[in-house]
Amino acid sequence: MPRSLFDKVWDAHVVEELPGGNALVFMDLIVAHEITTPPGAIAIERDFDDRLYDPRRIVAMIDHVSPAKDSATALQGQTVRNWAKRQGIVFHDIGDNGICHVIVPERGYIGPGMTACCGDSHTCTLGAFGAFALGIGTTAQAGAMLAGCLILQRPKVMRVEVTGELQAGATAKDLALTVIATIGFRGGTGYVLEYTGSAIRALTMEQRMTLCNMAIEAGATTGMIAADATTAAYLAATPNTPAFSLDVQADPDAEYAKTVTIDGSAVRPMVSWGTNPGECSPIDGIVPFDAPAESLAYMDLKPGRAMATIAIDQAFIGSCTNSRISDLRAAAEVFRGRKVTVPTIVTPGSQVVRRQAEREGLHDIFQDAGALWTHSSCGPCLGMSMGVLAPGMRCVSSSNRNFPGRMGDGGRVHLAAPVVVAASAILGRIASPAELPAVRETVLA
Amino acid sequence: MIVEGSVLPVRRANVDTDQIIPARYLTRIDADGMGEHLFEGMPDGPHLLAQHPGASIVVAAENFGCGSSREHAAWALLGRGFKAVIAPSFARIFEENAYTNALVPIVVPAAVAEELMSAQHIVIDVAAETLRADGGEPVSFSLDPLRKQFVLGGGFLQFLNAKIPEIRSWEAAR
Ligand code: SF4
Repeated sequence: MPRSLFDKVWDAHVVEELPGGNALVFMDLIVAHEITTPPGAIAIERDFDDRLYDPRRIVAMIDHVSPAKDSATALQGQTVRNWAKRQGIVFHDIGDNGICHVIVPERGYIGPGMTACCGDSHTCTLGAFGAFALGIGTTAQAGAMLAGCLILQRPKVMRVEVTGELQAGATAKDLALTVIATIGFRGGTGYVLEYTGSAIRALTMEQRMTLCNMAIEAGATTGMIAADATTAAYLAATPNTPAFSLDVQADPDAEYAKTVTIDGSAVRPMVSWGTNPGECSPIDGIVPFDAPAESLAYMDLKPGRAMATIAIDQAFIGSCTNSRISDLRAAAEVFRGRKVTVPTIVTPGSQVVRRQAEREGLHDIFQDAGALWTHSSCGPCLGMSMGVLAPGMRCVSSSNRNFPGRMGDGGRVHLAAPVVVAASAILGRIASPAELPAVRETVLA
Repeated sequence: MIVEGSVLPVRRANVDTDQIIPARYLTRIDADGMGEHLFEGMPDGPHLLAQHPGASIVVAAENFGCGSSREHAAWALLGRGFKAVIAPSFARIFEENAYTNALVPIVVPAAVAEELMSAQHIVIDVAAETLRADGGEPVSFSLDPLRKQFVLGGGFLQFLNAKIPEIRSWEAAR
């Protein structure tokens, strides 16, 4: 029977079928960070003699809060650090670290046809490499560390075909938001999204990661893109290039539980207005008249409000969605020679990204514009350690979640692409880069 | 196994795990201490809890537990004395976490959830997969047959541990 890309990766990793449509699925890679790993590692130490299935299949790092903000987060870091050391697990400590979904691809720990999991919902990012990679809870991760496998319900597969090609001004983030708005914020629940089509093939690996990163925001188990020459070229340049083959491809006549077609040429820059990532409009559009009252009450917006008139208090460029070098380059082009008018935080996704940005002088552009250039971290994305919002504060952000309270109790978040965040930081309201007046020579000099 | 108690109605849809337990509390290396911060991230969450003292069953709207994978959401509910969550749908990771922690995740049609939100007292027979609200007609539901055993008897990690020899020989033959 013809099979999808997902089917092939799944079938190659099923150790045993279990009752109720479940299966024991082997994990090639387990990613561990300091927030969700400690309770599981401690349970294995206490109940199973500290025995791991295969420490070589685990990569650990300090990720969300780096460096520690207090003694409690220092203890989380120290717990993972000590555990990695005594187990001989590859460990990325402060100074050599970043967001796990940025580190894992850039170091070449993931490759086509692999399975991977992490106690972090955005592990779906790795699906950009033709891998089956998913977020799980602490106990499931402990199970994978102990026995090498997850217990999973076999998901259905939805083909998301994106035809045409993204036009100038539209980014992978806009495509990600368009996909969610199209299939619905929970429309992906129970599915793996398999992205295909000419617009997908034309994306760079970093753009593919941005797209797959937000599969979870449609409720999907993960997103996947078949590996091709673009994938191979990216992996060849990583320090730990995995052995990979490009053979794992969907059969041309594979059947899908559902197929959705999106015209890639029609994708426009998007901004969210509500309290989930599906609640978004084109940047030159309005808050819709049928927007849920609950979302608008939280966001303090009225239906019909033009998106590009909404004033902001803070801007953030970063997170596992949009903190890679291409995101920073694009934002820098908008900032170059201009000044921000609201507090603006720019956070690279890893130390590798940070150093590359500094070699290119991007940090000077950000700082000349008046933005704060930080070390690599999850940063303001999750309202945990820096750039946390006060109640009522409004932030335009290149991250992936705008749920109530996500970036701080009562804080309001508008999701957008890095170039839109940069333009908004300059104009002090939600704005498209196309609105910016040209930079005068005198400012450049 | 019988789970019973009064209801906390969560009428808001898409309550994500940041609303159940905000990230600022994810600073521990164990599962303790989450209950006191339950629903602090949900608009009116603490107020809602105060209006329903002693509730032990959450009845929620669509897509409960979406967003972050944090198992802390299940730990916070358990820590506050909740034993079951009833909703028209759950996000995958939350539902898996609920099963492994014996927080019974029960899916019912939206209309049934709507009715249960105003119930005074719900009795759930987990083994029989039925529930009754205020002594009314039994409503049946179905649990994942494999994961149900982790609700009834725990042992998720023990189950996987027992599979290791089989997994090793699968890997060797790969
Ligand atoms: S950047 Fe944000 S979404 Fe990504 S892993 Fe960090 S906290 Fe999670």
